[in-house]
Amino acid sequence: MRRERREQLQTGLMLTPSVLLLALFILLPLCVVFAYSFALRDPYGAVLPGFTLDNYKELVQGVYLRVLMNSFSLAGMTTVLCLLIGYPVAYFIAFKAGRAAPALLLLLLIPFWINFLIRISAWVVLLGRGGLINKGLVFSGLIDEPIGMLGTVAATLVGMVYAFLPVTVFPIYAALTPIDRRLMEAGADLGAGPAETFWRITLPLSLPGVLAAALFVFVPSMGVFAIPVLLGGGKDIILGNLIVQLFLEFRNIPVGAAVSILLLVVSGFGILLYMRALRRVEAMK
Amino acid sequence: MSANGKAPNWFVRHVVYGAAGWITLLTYLFMLLPIVVLIAFAFNAGKSTVVWTGFSFKWFEKVISNRNIIDALEVSLIVAVASAAISTAIGAVAAVAITRRSFPGRDALGAALAAPLVLPEIVLGVALLVFMSFVGMTLGYTTMIIGHVLVSIPFATLIVRAAASSLDPRLENAAADLGANEWQTFRMVTLPQLMPAIFTSFILSATLSFDNLVMSTFTSGVGTTTLPLRIYSMLKLGITPEINALGALMVLANVTILLLVMGRYLPLILKTNRR
Repeated sequence: MRRERREQLQTGLMLTPSVLLLALFILLPLCVVFAYSFALRDPYGAVLPGFTLDNYKELVQGVYLRVLMNSFSLAGMTTVLCLLIGYPVAYFIAFKAGRAAPALLLLLLIPFWINFLIRISAWVVLLGRGGLINKGLVFSGLIDEPIGMLGTVAATLVGMVYAFLPVTVFPIYAALTPIDRRLMEAGADLGAGPAETFWRITLPLSLPGVLAAALFVFVPSMGVFAIPVLLGGGKDIILGNLIVQLFLEFRNIPVGAAVSILLLVVSGFGILLYMRALRRVEAMK
Repeated sequence: MSANGKAPNWFVRHVVYGAAGWITLLTYLFMLLPIVVLIAFAFNAGKSTVVWTGFSFKWFEKVISNRNIIDALEVSLIVAVASAAISTAIGAVAAVAITRRSFPGRDALGAALAAPLVLPEIVLGVALLVFMSFVGMTLGYTTMIIGHVLVSIPFATLIVRAAASSLDPRLENAAADLGANEWQTFRMVTLPQLMPAIFTSFILSATLSFDNLVMSTFTSGVGTTTLPLRIYSMLKLGITPEINALGALMVLANVTILLLVMGRYLPLILKTNRR
């Protein structure tokens, strides 16, 4: 009996730091943000106690609504592009690369060794008027004079895909490798064409990886703020930029809190969708 | 390829596999070429990042004599080491408890510790900023270290959990049979086996902290500008080869750390996995 008590005490002691960390610095702060999102604000930016839904109402009006739309479309396009490019890459590494596979995976990690901002700065230079891409296009005769690529949505998109592509490949690769090749061969033997084998065997079996990749790209890409500023010229801003501006520049904490809660809800929704889809995929097996 | 020796048909060999191969090749060019160009222009003699005018080390000299960069580096290193140590310690203890003890809410704690992985970091940063001003704490090292611990705790916990769940309980039983008490068993049998994972999680946490921009944006105070924050404000003003030189130096530092880790700990990790 005494031993059991002592063990309980020990377990409690082991759990204290992590539980405190989560409660004090994640849960409690999120509650404060939630409360602030309904609060009032005096003209000087101080938060006043009270209850109003105006902060949320502002989000679906004019400027803020445009930012919301921008965020969803940019995050959506980034996710789709990353999956379209990342899937074949993961497929190649898993099934075709053979002994080169570990090296290819390691190469994919190299971007992580270089600060994210410095990698983005490489694209600022490449896409610039005097940059390599414009020079190449002029040299090849495709265009007559350099075109302004920086400050466009396309430039932002290039940066986003560049930042999130490695994150896409890994979960898909992890889902593809354990697939029993005999299943694919059985499909072929039973008369399924390669497209049908892929469509009905490989793709469904790798779906959990695809879903995980989509989640890992879609949610964080809405909170990015450096890429739209550095590559997009800060014209088409997204939720991440809005949060930075509202908190650090305009000091409009209640509306900023509402935006943060919105982002939180969207990501929570994404996680729920992911788990539901995962359950459905598991049930299919 | 097939079990019965039937070769895949022309379509599979040339179109399907071929397309995946071409896309892979282009993707790697897309991923790596900017980095190669970036490092090459760190050695440019001129002020341009696009026109090559000759070879020089002057931008490297400029970086290491830039007071702002060196100060920021110092802040970054302090925060990286402190947050990695705290997050690894908290994460490792929680991981051992989750894998070795049974207590109510065990799965929930495991999930909660992985939560920062899927919660938008920017919201965690904002929440911490709001909370700190709510309780009247000035922003600075403490707030930033707490923030960085939140970012790295999922990784620290998951890495040590993976290692702890693959431990062979017979080794601990054997130690107990040989007369070791609980603490001795932990210190001399369990802990040494977890060391590679603990080390890995420390290095990963430190790297994540060192590269962090989002959390630092909201939690840094006066005089605690980290290197990424400094780089961000430099980039907004325009790009000189100084940025390239800084990038090249960071690659060098990362490769060195990686080689050191691999040289020292890879044999150990391989040994524990073989068993």
